[in-house]
Amino acid sequence: MSVTVRLPTPLRSAVGGERTIEVDANDLASLQREIAARYPELGARVLRDGAFGRFVTVFVDGEDARFLEQNADLSTAKVVEILPAMSGG
Amino acid sequence: MTTTLEEITALRGLRCRACGALQPADERYICGECLGPIEPEYDLDIFDAETLRVDIERGPASLWRYAPLLPVAPPTSHWPVGWTPLIEAHRLGDALGIERLYLKDDTRNPTLSFKDRPVAVALARALELGLDTIACASTGNLAGAVAAAAARNGLRAFVFVPADIEPEKIASAAAYGATVVRVNGPYDAVNRLCGRLADEYGWGFVNFTLRPYYAEGSKTVLFECAEQLGWTLPHHIVVPVGSGALLTRQATAANQLRATGLVPESHFHIHAAQPAGCAPVSDAVLDNWRPVEPVRRPETLAKSLAIGAPADGDGSVKIVRETRGSAASVSDDEIREAASLLATTEGVLVEPAGGVVVATAKQLASRGVFHAGETVVLYLTGNGYKGGPEETALGPVIAADADAFRLAYEEVLA
Ligand SMILES: [Zn+2]
Repeated sequence: MSVTVRLPTPLRSAVGGERTIEVDANDLASLQREIAARYPELGARVLRDGAFGRFVTVFVDGEDARFLEQNADLSTAKVVEILPAMSGG
Repeated sequence: MTTTLEEITALRGLRCRACGALQPADERYICGECLGPIEPEYDLDIFDAETLRVDIERGPASLWRYAPLLPVAPPTSHWPVGWTPLIEAHRLGDALGIERLYLKDDTRNPTLSFKDRPVAVALARALELGLDTIACASTGNLAGAVAAAAARNGLRAFVFVPADIEPEKIASAAAYGATVVRVNGPYDAVNRLCGRLADEYGWGFVNFTLRPYYAEGSKTVLFECAEQLGWTLPHHIVVPVGSGALLTRQATAANQLRATGLVPESHFHIHAAQPAGCAPVSDAVLDNWRPVEPVRRPETLAKSLAIGAPADGDGSVKIVRETRGSAASVSDDEIREAASLLATTEGVLVEPAGGVVVATAKQLASRGVFHAGETVVLYLTGNGYKGGPEETALGPVIAADADAFRLAYEEVLA
């Protein structure tokens, strides 16, 4: 099952300038594994010990991935977005 | 007058807090290596403490008096942001059992919140970069600050807010001419939208693409407290936590004040104040300094602090721990009661976030955190005229008649 991953500008250089990449994954765990295997440069920047690091926020169809289980089903997900952390108020 | 910054630039570059890489002050807003947050770093050795102190004291009555310790040149036309009063609060202190209590009244900024400070610095940076549009995601106060600063500088502004924030905040941002976009969902959803839009438009999102500069403006709150206390740090500050940028930058400010020799070494504790309905930082502190767990659906009267996934959350927990501070998470009832106590003892009207701070101070005092003779400063960051907790319980409307008055207000007169 292929998932569309949308990347912010500062990350695009890690995947040859693409805005989005297609990754074969059924759940978060396999998404992280596939990124590490197929896009090692991207993986080096967004993954820490195999999981998404604390300085990026990952959204699955708008839901913060930190609220999802590692085995959450991604088969119906339309888009996964990776964003750097933001300040606020 | 101070021309220090134009002559001496102390800015070395921006250092990544995650991987430590130092990068030039160009258009980047996150670490090019690891996406971590980057922060301005200064060469503080170039300053002579006495000269710097005199320069600051002769500077403008605004946050730009601290320009040598900010990452941008001060704009040519100053807007009176900052240099707000530090008020001794004996009556509130008596009520809370705090001997030497002060209020840092940041409700008196141009748009009635401390957000005018970070925006002043972000806007100066936007002008340096030649941007024509600034934008933000906001829980309300930042929206007004961005809208007003854009108006004053002839820039276009887009502000994105959760649809359920105080109508006064939406109306005032719109009155300054900004395009106010109300978004369904919590603040974190608004932030996500802005992250996406920042990629598509070249706007200066103050809390995102200008964040390293934006956050620096918050240091000036402590710079002022120290100067107003005769160039010494208070022993305790109680700081409201939304994104955590304000809290973490108070530690940066304390380090810079000490490193430049502006203040002597002293013990200084930073305490975090959050509402129970959205307390990811306070909960982490009180649960033995565990990592921050985001709050999915924040629900609190203190809407300006309703940020479930704070960007500087873990950073805030670390700072509270390092300064041997503490935290509290307070209920909506405690917030209302504390805001009312502040208004009725000191004549200062705050938005609910201020109630969160006062209620936190009350809890800390009862836990014995403050010792005799120690100075305690409460950060009051938003004004009650922008939408207080709720309508105060009012008495009945009466006819213009003295007897009607006596009858209706019998209880109060007794
Ligand atoms: Zn880094």
